[in-house]
Amino acid sequence: MKKDRLKWLLLSPVIIYALVLILLPIVYIFILSFQTSGPYGETIYNLTFYNYIELIKSIYIKVFAVSFGIASITTIVCMIIAFPFAYFLREKSARTKTLVTTLVMLPFLTNSLIRLYGWIVLLRKTGIVNTILMNTGITDHPLSLMYNTFGTCVGMVYTLLPFMILPLISACEKIDGSLIEASHDLGASKFQTFIHVILPQVRTGLFNGSLMVFIPSIGYFFISDILGGGKVMLIGNLIKNQFYTARNWPFGSAIAIILIIMTFILIGLYKRSGGKMDDLGGA
Amino acid sequence: MKKKILLLLIICFALCGCTKTESGEKLNVLNWSSYIPDDVIRDFQKETNIKLNYNTYSSNEELLAKVTASKPGTYDVVFPSDYMIEVMKERKLLKKMDKSKLNNLGNLNNHFMNEYFDQNNEYSVPFLLTMPIIAYDSTKVHESINSYNDLLNKKYKEDIVLLDDQRIIIGMGLIATGSDFNSKDEKQLEAAKNWLLKLRPNIKAYDSDSPKSFLITEEASIAYLWSAEAAIAMDENPDIKVVFPQEGSAKSMDNMVILKGAKNEENAYKFIDFILRDDIMKRIIDYYPYKNLHNDPDNYIVPIEKATNSDGTPNIAYDIPIDVIDKGYYVKNIGDSIRLYDEIWTVIK
Repeated sequence: MKKDRLKWLLLSPVIIYALVLILLPIVYIFILSFQTSGPYGETIYNLTFYNYIELIKSIYIKVFAVSFGIASITTIVCMIIAFPFAYFLREKSARTKTLVTTLVMLPFLTNSLIRLYGWIVLLRKTGIVNTILMNTGITDHPLSLMYNTFGTCVGMVYTLLPFMILPLISACEKIDGSLIEASHDLGASKFQTFIHVILPQVRTGLFNGSLMVFIPSIGYFFISDILGGGKVMLIGNLIKNQFYTARNWPFGSAIAIILIIMTFILIGLYKRSGGKMDDLGGA
Repeated sequence: MKKKILLLLIICFALCGCTKTESGEKLNVLNWSSYIPDDVIRDFQKETNIKLNYNTYSSNEELLAKVTASKPGTYDVVFPSDYMIEVMKERKLLKKMDKSKLNNLGNLNNHFMNEYFDQNNEYSVPFLLTMPIIAYDSTKVHESINSYNDLLNKKYKEDIVLLDDQRIIIGMGLIATGSDFNSKDEKQLEAAKNWLLKLRPNIKAYDSDSPKSFLITEEASIAYLWSAEAAIAMDENPDIKVVFPQEGSAKSMDNMVILKGAKNEENAYKFIDFILRDDIMKRIIDYYPYKNLHNDPDNYIVPIEKATNSDGTPNIAYDIPIDVIDKGYYVKNIGDSIRLYDEIWTVIK
């Protein structure tokens, strides 16, 4: 009994945190999503599915499609960069691993907005990348490297890459080297080994990383504002617009709820394909 | 060891006590970012011995969210724009002003009083005004630009920066197609949308934070941006020229108001009166060249060399003349039509 009480006492900060800062706001957003807003942005309390029906309009479906497109590109590019990195780190000494992991974490110490502004200096027309390309004669006119979808993707990949690298490092550590050797001994090609032996062992890490990259890249409106020139409308921008300019909090809430539901669907797909929830949390 | 910790704790508590006893007169101000220079704020504190808690916001909607989400009395003075005054009045957030407490009110030009959002200035006192205008780099743009339709020229592919502001940009489409700036008519809005879609290939970016830097770094040759931003860009690059589009343009006036439930009302009046002083306004304008709304018969606030170009014509970036301001349109509340605007914005972006 006494032990139980101590357990609850120790757990209480986490429970209170989750209740007050995560659950309550979601409940509030959920309730808000069934209301309407008045001409001056005040919430009018009633029960309506209007906000959800609005979302079926083609313009909003297009925003969702563009968002998912950019999020998919970001996730795939992050995977392509992060996987070889994590895989080859596996064989290095503990000291190198600690050093490299610290280096991956280091950018988090600076504000992400400041780091994004740094990209402007690199990518703009008169920026460093274009100057080098033109001076070496690779192009004769400055390339449009930002204020478009490309710039948005660069910003996303840059900001979210650590979220792919870290779970992959821990996933790759657990790869059983003897299985790879056995695979080679039994005559499998490198490609076959990769598909049938390595990939199944890092699957959870890949999914974990993908989830942590995919979900934020739908919502990071500031990246599209800064490097996309505000021309790429993501779901995050749409939600922000509802809370700011359109003063339509209920509609913004409805979009946010849809986003939460989609996240659950993604996790559900993962579970159905045989993934364990424990692995997701324990990267 | 324990004693040391105890001593440390005592010192900490003693220091906490210090800050508490120090708190005498206070004032909580919430203002746009980059609007009043720090040294003006410092001088106000020195002159009046009032401790100023100064916080900032970057859009009217953010202001509204901050005020409605906080306890009444959290902020005393805020700086909403025209249409937001109407919203805040409607939502009963503002306090009626006792103008007898403002000795410097006479410094303001009567022309800018009694605007539609606050007849008789019962709740608000004008602060500054600005209009979006067209600025271009004359070394790159050789054609003359007088109208919004000149921006449709295919030569300016991905070369124009626009404010990232739904109402201003859709309003620009509306007046470019000959409609009212605040139209609620679906057909007119459809025409404006199509006009903006035609403009779209020429747009480099939408940016409200610092559109001037696109001109300064030669990222774009044309910008539709606030007059004060244009003025700063002209200082950096003398090749930048400005025009006021013949169809007219938007205008936006920021005002000082006292919030209902304000805890430091007397200090709020002192602050507003301080800002209304000509010498203080001059210092603000020097730093942030928005249009001041004072009577300025001797060009004390804006010196004549800044107010006019070298050829004697008025410099509309530094000092927008009154007849130009009168051709401007306020963003007005349009009720439920805001949904239509938001849809158009989603399409054209």
